[in-house]
Amino acid sequence: MEMSLFLVQLLNGIQYGLLLFLVASGLTLVFGVMGILNLAHGSMYMIGAYLVYYFAAMTDSFWLAVVIACSIAMVIGVIIERFLIVHLYKRDHLDQVLLTVGLIFIFNAAQSFIWGNDPLGVDVPELLSSSIQITDIVEYPVYRLFLSVLCVGIAIGMYYVINNTKLGMMIRAGESNREMVENLGVNIGTLFTVVFAVGVTLSALAGIVSAPVVSLVPGMGERVLISCFVVVVIGGMGSIKGAFVAALLVGIVDTFASVLLPGMSSMTIYLLMALILIFKPQGLFKS
Amino acid sequence: MSECILQAENLSKHWGGLKALNEFNIKFYDKSLHSIVGPNGAGKSTMLNILCGTYPATKGVILYRGENITGLKSHQFCRKGIGRSFQKTNIFKDATCLENCCIAAQQRVGSSFNMFKSKHSSKHVTAIAEDALEQVGLLKQANTKASAISYGEQRQLEIAMVLATDPQVLLLDEPMAGMGHEESLIIIDLLKSLKKRYCIVLVEHDMDAVFELSDLMTVMVDGQHLITDVVDNIRANPLVQEAYLGNDDEVF
Amino acid sequence: MSVFSSKAEKVFIFAFFFIALGIPLFFNENTFYVNKISTMLILSIFVMSLDYLVGRTGLITLGHAMFYGLGGYLFAIMIPEYEVVNFWLYTFYVMAASGVIALIVGFIVLRTSGIYMIMITLALAQMTFYFFADSTEYGGLDGLFIYLKPETSIFGLNFLDLDNENHFYYLCLLSLFNCYVFCKVSLHSRFGRVIDAIKENPERATALGYNIFHFRLVSYVLSSSLAAYAGYLFSLQYGFVNPTMMSWEVSASALVMAILGGLGTIFGAILGVFVYESLHYGIEHMTQYWMFWMGSLIILMVLLLKSGIAGLIEQLVGGKRK
Repeated sequence: MEMSLFLVQLLNGIQYGLLLFLVASGLTLVFGVMGILNLAHGSMYMIGAYLVYYFAAMTDSFWLAVVIACSIAMVIGVIIERFLIVHLYKRDHLDQVLLTVGLIFIFNAAQSFIWGNDPLGVDVPELLSSSIQITDIVEYPVYRLFLSVLCVGIAIGMYYVINNTKLGMMIRAGESNREMVENLGVNIGTLFTVVFAVGVTLSALAGIVSAPVVSLVPGMGERVLISCFVVVVIGGMGSIKGAFVAALLVGIVDTFASVLLPGMSSMTIYLLMALILIFKPQGLFKS
Repeated sequence: MSECILQAENLSKHWGGLKALNEFNIKFYDKSLHSIVGPNGAGKSTMLNILCGTYPATKGVILYRGENITGLKSHQFCRKGIGRSFQKTNIFKDATCLENCCIAAQQRVGSSFNMFKSKHSSKHVTAIAEDALEQVGLLKQANTKASAISYGEQRQLEIAMVLATDPQVLLLDEPMAGMGHEESLIIIDLLKSLKKRYCIVLVEHDMDAVFELSDLMTVMVDGQHLITDVVDNIRANPLVQEAYLGNDDEVF
Repeated sequence: MSVFSSKAEKVFIFAFFFIALGIPLFFNENTFYVNKISTMLILSIFVMSLDYLVGRTGLITLGHAMFYGLGGYLFAIMIPEYEVVNFWLYTFYVMAASGVIALIVGFIVLRTSGIYMIMITLALAQMTFYFFADSTEYGGLDGLFIYLKPETSIFGLNFLDLDNENHFYYLCLLSLFNCYVFCKVSLHSRFGRVIDAIKENPERATALGYNIFHFRLVSYVLSSSLAAYAGYLFSLQYGFVNPTMMSWEVSASALVMAILGGLGTIFGAILGVFVYESLHYGIEHMTQYWMFWMGSLIILMVLLLKSGIAGLIEQLVGGKRK
């Protein structure tokens, strides 16, 4: 492989990995603090992408659409937590699986009802529609660079919030000991609502910002969810640091596998996961 | 003194930087009751959990009848003959008392992978289970669900299940925890009769019971071995008074 | 001691098999319904195998459809082209091969538990899905076709013609009956005693000297082989296999059916399948957005109906014996 091509693939891999991190961090945050495995997490990714498509067409502004879509996603998150997830805290894993599978069904039906099943696309915003020339024939789109920078920014922001703010302190305390948080006088109900809403918004945001570089198809949420599982399993459930490292690993491995091993590219990350599980059943960064 | 069955040499357990157990040496003898006491957090439960294979030791060896069993898996300790009871009642609540003991007895009898013969077909398993229940005085409750008997009876069932696995060594983790006086007396009588036949290692907070039952006592503080001696010497030992009982006289 | 764990089960099982025996006579020449019910019988085997694993062994999987699909694929891949093979021989081959695969997969999956196992089973099932969906050799998304149905002679006797819908129906019914009997017998055995113990309290079972990994692995292999058998029957009925059979939706709906019927009851699997599939069929006739109603139904079920239909019937018919 040529150097410039290698560089482009590497950038693609990192960008994909960072997007995966955005989704996976929400999943792992919700699990870490609330002990809930939200299978409908991928559906929020899909909903985000379709919402931004809808509002970009309506308002003619991608950026406005991003804001609206994010807000709607957050509201959906609050509603789901308040009305449904709240019943699950004392139930077992199976009930979590079922209820969130039910949500996937509903989201998928809504998507197919509102937007139909044909592939849709979102235009790259004009501001970022140019490309950077790497060599004479190889170029790299600015929007993808923007995606990577945005994700890194969010990762740094999360790191700051978790380590330096009161909310972050409560999150960390919630991860290690839920009862302790309640004894600290924190309203655990509110904390859970906030964490859940933030978690699903992260997933929706990933869908929103990646909408211009992917095609919007039914089932896109489940595909992301599964890749996300691979990330979380490799990184260690509940660990945001683990999610970051594993997401990059998965992103890069997956991107290069599709170039180097076209026949079995879709299997590579699962084989990677199986391999890591054999040696580290709890993932790389056990929380 | 009778034969030494179970022995730990330089046993250590580190949790990150914390040394829960540090270079511990101890010997347990057959047909005697050896109790381990110490303040909370002294590492008693940690040691018990290592001796029955639940936690792997960081360092050191466990010898069972002279054989090194340190690296064995958790379930293999029971098969060797080291049975344990739990501090928090840990039984099969949905099953009857008899079934609880049958599960234990079947492990010893074997053929647990037989899928075609009814579980009730073996008279041998049932006989062992009934015998275990009889030893702890629960035979009359054999067909009652384990969740329906009293707390004290559940503690007795806990011991019966260990007996049904045909152990040589009994590791008992606070068998009297949370019990009233009357119920404790039942367990004390039970342990008195059991120690004639088994090597019993007892971790217990009820000091009256410990002094009444023990042949040997070990006092530990902060993961360290302080002293092992017969009951009367422990009672009189100034080191023990100072290190462990100094701030908590009323236990005597 | 009765083989049935409740009066409700006894009543249901007798009624179900009695009615089921008469179905082809009742529908006479209308093979549409006979075929439809054959499929439900096959699904019942699949869901029952899942209940064995989830409801009785206590291992939650979201990837069981992987073995359902593999059953079909293994058969389609193993048969020589344009040659009629023996049904019983290939039943053995398919179940043995899927058993070996389950042994390997189980070895990885069972190193974990709980939430991890849910994610890993799902991920591995998706891996298998993409493996077949992307392969040109195995027909990609179109899958593989099975042109010739196997013959069923045993010791020179041949009394089943798989091309005949009614014959195939009775084969499915017999298979379901055998599956039910196997599940009940093995769960009532010494093995079942340990399985129940491990589900209720794995820590204690280990302390009593059981290697819980081995028992879980055996249960996983058995359950997976049964699922593969169901997939094999399905591929015979429709004459093809494709990756959709092992999509995550199949695993998830099977789980819903098992829970709808009453988790851990074994016979509830049949109930769950018939109720779910009837609803599916009914709703799909009224609206193309059946998934919306199904999703709402599942959520309501989680919030309101904790012990499934079997639990409901048991409350109505009377006391559990177990």
